[in-house]
Amino acid sequence: MAGELASPAAPPRITRGSSRRVAALRLLRRRLIQAVPLMLGVVVINFVLIQLAPGSFLELMTAENQVSDPATIALLRTTYGLDDPVWLQLVKYIWALMRFDFGFSYRQNIPVIDAISVHLPATLLLMISSITLALAVGVAAGVVASMKVRTFWDTLVSVAAMFFFAAPSFWLGIMLIVLFSVKLGWLPVGGMATIGGTSSGAGGVLDILHHLILPTLALGLFYAAIYARVMRSSMLEVAQLDFVRTARAKGLSRNQVTISHVLRNALLPVVTILGVQMGTVLAGSVVIESVFSWPGVGSLLFDSVSSRNYPVVLGIMVLGSLVVIAANIAVDLIYMWLDPRIEIR
Amino acid sequence: MQRFEFIGRFARNRGALIGAVLILVVALMALLAPLFFPVDPLRIVGQPELWPGEDADFPLGTDSLGRDMLSMIVHGARATLLIGLFASAVATVIGVGVGATAGYFGGWIDEIAMRAAELFQTIPNLIFVLTIVVILGSTLTNIVIAIGIVSWTPIARMTRAEFLSLRDREFVQACRAMGMGDLKIIVAEILPNALPPVIVLSSLVVAGAILFESAVSFLGLGDPNVASWGRLVGDGRQLIRSSWYICAIPGVAIMITVLCLNLIGDGLNDALNPKLRDR
Repeated sequence: MAGELASPAAPPRITRGSSRRVAALRLLRRRLIQAVPLMLGVVVINFVLIQLAPGSFLELMTAENQVSDPATIALLRTTYGLDDPVWLQLVKYIWALMRFDFGFSYRQNIPVIDAISVHLPATLLLMISSITLALAVGVAAGVVASMKVRTFWDTLVSVAAMFFFAAPSFWLGIMLIVLFSVKLGWLPVGGMATIGGTSSGAGGVLDILHHLILPTLALGLFYAAIYARVMRSSMLEVAQLDFVRTARAKGLSRNQVTISHVLRNALLPVVTILGVQMGTVLAGSVVIESVFSWPGVGSLLFDSVSSRNYPVVLGIMVLGSLVVIAANIAVDLIYMWLDPRIEIR
Repeated sequence: MQRFEFIGRFARNRGALIGAVLILVVALMALLAPLFFPVDPLRIVGQPELWPGEDADFPLGTDSLGRDMLSMIVHGARATLLIGLFASAVATVIGVGVGATAGYFGGWIDEIAMRAAELFQTIPNLIFVLTIVVILGSTLTNIVIAIGIVSWTPIARMTRAEFLSLRDREFVQACRAMGMGDLKIIVAEILPNALPPVIVLSSLVVAGAILFESAVSFLGLGDPNVASWGRLVGDGRQLIRSSWYICAIPGVAIMITVLCLNLIGDGLNDALNPKLRDR
């Protein structure tokens, strides 16, 4: 994981590459160490929820799956030490999770971890495409609004941002389906691939992209609205700083200054928010996946919630938090790449 | 005098004023729902799937079973607003409690509180709400508490920041010199001064809580006895090919309410920080 995450920090333009890489690695190590108590906290919260639940841990782990095989039940009793005192149960639970033993999903008849990892790529794809859309649209709209402040365009951006910030994503998704799938027939109603269509090669990729458009819009426009607002005020703030005046005094045109000086600095608050919101993006995809029958973790969660398949629900919570932590570390590294001053600290 | 000035500043923000008026209308609607629509909103009163305007008796049409959409929207306003308000209250109580303790005492207490806030930001919020609701049961109380539990962190951070800047002011030192206890200083002296920005944030948390609740109900995990707007959208989902208005109307109601709450939050913010107004 370390190698993959370090790559975005590798500076493409700066020659003192090695020292920056060292700084990036140091940051990475610090973040990974900080992640340990966070994960521990998530696991403890999970454990508390299990303890609060009506019924025993065992019933929870086998809920509504009619596990009556005494050998299986005995195995679970010893694995999770159900006759032990609570603190020892917690230790055993943590130990089990550390070995990625999230329990068994009797519904799919596979370990929970396998059930989740099958669905994770679809969710990550939806998250990445939504964040990309949100950043592209939000940043562009914010820049336009800040450059044409108090004009028609500025008003248009803020009105649109207000609406998309208030619209529930699942409702927006349904309305998009009504317009683009039911009325116009341009885009598929749901799913990730055409049933019976080509699943491999360029045709398969195009098919998935075709299915990706509406869910991406439904999930991404809410965040685009946030980024547009933040970007606008951040651009206006940075534009008043001294170094911008210096750049203008050097004789650069307004557009040149905006693109090469203001934009880069104004992006920082957007990146900060992006990191903070990673968890909400993942959670938002749960709802969107249910609207579009997108075969990701959200659909799995929804199925598991409806069938009281608790081990899967709890496993998704732990792994979801892990994804958020990893994404946050990536965002930190991007932040460092955008703002070299961090290196000094 | 100062209060009038504040109201004046708030009222000068046209968006905030419109938002406040509309929210007042929605709240009145929620309060007076039984007066306008004394019949149980979930009772079948007409033909199914009447489009809005098709029958003068049902201005917003009827749903798949022939229930009056307008009546369901008006009654649904009650559930939606109440859940939003209570969840925001839960979040505010937790957030102010944690933030005030962290900011006032500092040191390791602060460290622990902030790590806890980070922890609750890490867990994907809606997944957490769904997990709580599914394990502890889909009752109104559980949903409200669950939404409160995932929404308190921004309030805690804001309260903490206010406390940090206020705790060493002269008036607080004077209280300490007089031998006032910590609890009394926190509650009676610092808190009133720290509250205004926290209240703004709470109004935004109400909006967020309404969106949360609507998502939970939309997924069919809301309290089965409560017909909130989110559930109405979920109920209409099967009919988007023939009667998409059944989905559209409650969604518009959610959107308008959340929009107005956001406008009010913006207006309060501007009124509290007049210097930022012209940004």
